[in-house]
Amino acid sequence: MSIGVIEEVFSIDLPVGEQFRIQRCRYTPERGEILKRISIVSGIHGDELEGQYVCFLLGEWLRANPEKIKGIIDIYPAINSLGIDSITRSVPFYDVDLNRIFPGSKNDFLPAQIADGVVSAMMGSEIAIDIHSSNVFLREIPQVRIAKSQAETLVPLANKLNIDFVWVHDAVTVLESTFAHAMNTLGTKTLVVEMGVGMRLGKAYGHQLLDGILNLMACEGFLDIEPLDVRMPIQSHVGEVAYLNASFPGLFVPAIEHCQMIEKGSIVGQIVDPLSGVTLDEVIAPIGGILFTLRAYPIVYEGSLVGRIFGENV
Amino acid sequence: MKRIEILNFKSPNRAPLKVEGFLFGEDSKGPSIAIVGAMSGDHINQLYVASRLVEYLRHKEEEGKICGKILVIPAVNTYALNMGQTFWPLDKTDINMMFPGYTQGETTQRIAAKLFESLQGYNYGIILEGRRDQGMCLPYVKIIKSDYEDLDVARDLGMRFIHYRPYSPIETVMLQYNWQLWGTKALSVVFGKNGSINHSDSSEVQGSLVRLMAKRGILDLPVFEGFVSNIIHPENITLLKASHAGIFDSVFTCGSSIEKGDTLGSITDALSGEQLEKIIAPVGGVLTCQYSHPLIFQNSIAFRIASVEQ
Repeated sequence: MSIGVIEEVFSIDLPVGEQFRIQRCRYTPERGEILKRISIVSGIHGDELEGQYVCFLLGEWLRANPEKIKGIIDIYPAINSLGIDSITRSVPFYDVDLNRIFPGSKNDFLPAQIADGVVSAMMGSEIAIDIHSSNVFLREIPQVRIAKSQAETLVPLANKLNIDFVWVHDAVTVLESTFAHAMNTLGTKTLVVEMGVGMRLGKAYGHQLLDGILNLMACEGFLDIEPLDVRMPIQSHVGEVAYLNASFPGLFVPAIEHCQMIEKGSIVGQIVDPLSGVTLDEVIAPIGGILFTLRAYPIVYEGSLVGRIFGENV
Repeated sequence: MKRIEILNFKSPNRAPLKVEGFLFGEDSKGPSIAIVGAMSGDHINQLYVASRLVEYLRHKEEEGKICGKILVIPAVNTYALNMGQTFWPLDKTDINMMFPGYTQGETTQRIAAKLFESLQGYNYGIILEGRRDQGMCLPYVKIIKSDYEDLDVARDLGMRFIHYRPYSPIETVMLQYNWQLWGTKALSVVFGKNGSINHSDSSEVQGSLVRLMAKRGILDLPVFEGFVSNIIHPENITLLKASHAGIFDSVFTCGSSIEKGDTLGSITDALSGEQLEKIIAPVGGVLTCQYSHPLIFQNSIAFRIASVEQ
């Protein structure tokens, strides 16, 4: 009976009586030939916890439904385990963003070795889903971000994930250092999910994405269940994304809730000065549409992103 | 000397971030050079060299020795320097990962854009860099292959080693790459141990900067020749990794010549005190870098040896 086998896929000694380790829980079919593998990944950034909850929900579902499993399902809840247990986004000690060091190397410093270990463990997976939570500053609706060069392959998969938005963006060279780029280059179709906000978890988003992952796994032959009735995400190519950056430093006080439809010219929030009691600026929506990103951490400098609106092309 | 404001960036509650530059000479007199110091809060040695250079150039200007234009920006990320952090204190982004910058973008993109604007038009550009790992190293020139690089400028520094290599994707958003693309002969001088000052290395780097400026006609000074620089490609470097984690002891200093078979250091168990391994040089050469923290991780790179042949 498949109840998930916990395996250590990467381990390295820390200086004083401890190991840095990456663990996965592997679920395999109770019977039949195993042909394919999917990896669910979270915690590349140590301050992003939404994926941990999704991993739990998926593991709970698989434990309750072992007879439905048709392929290998690997769950990696905590890649940057040191960071997750210490509220640290980067790899502690080195202060390096793990998602800017892929594919990594066995012959480089610890973060690069971790990246190399992650790639080695997941290589051969047909699909990977890398779950992020934005960061502590921004709250995001469930979305998948895809480089334009990968859109043809990945957008159809992303549409199965029960998310709200598929954002296809231009290729940026620096993103060639991400986990997703490394895995896509190696032939693993890898989707990057962003949802929620750093250091917190939202139960609703977790359940929404669980349904999406179950649906994707049903459609792609990893689960012997009927596909779920999932929402069709908004596609970025039908509209434009407007960025709202703070013009003044201060305290950002939102005027509307996240994930609301907003009209052009309406107030998204105010930037105020707690010392003088003066309102420094009003952040105005430059286009109408859905406010799919909203600042969660109120302190802003000039330039700090306070929101993003997706609106239809004029 | 003119003390100029490169940028002035307001904070919600702190005093404004002021990035200052020190300008010597003028454009019309000769070639120009810009030197950028600490972009991270732990690049103390880079700050130290840049500020000493400012003082040195102030005297040379009084003596009428400056023939071109020189801009020195000792510190960019003063906010991080003032609170013992490495990156931008609010969002932990690295200013040296934000180039060429974006005036309508996020905070550190705007800072990078403003800084980059002030660095345009110079013939030569030097970035004083610290290490991006837990290491310390012999001062060396880092120059990436962007198709716009100029090795002759690197040679004029007269440093012992020039590390010449292809760029990685993340370097496309760093200052050296972008500065080169925008027409400045830019390179980096990497040295020291982050968070500390090494006086010998500092002297060497300052001497190299003065040599370059003299050779390129920016300073009217006689200077000693430096090294005939060795061009080091990645295949000339041997990495020695720690097989064990524990307490790391090194018995050599960076720059030492070593023979094959030399014991370079050892690792002991941090709790039991048992010696876990001796790290032996598999090749001869020059010890260019070594791990600098007393606690070492398993598989960390303990030493780098540059050799003439592999």
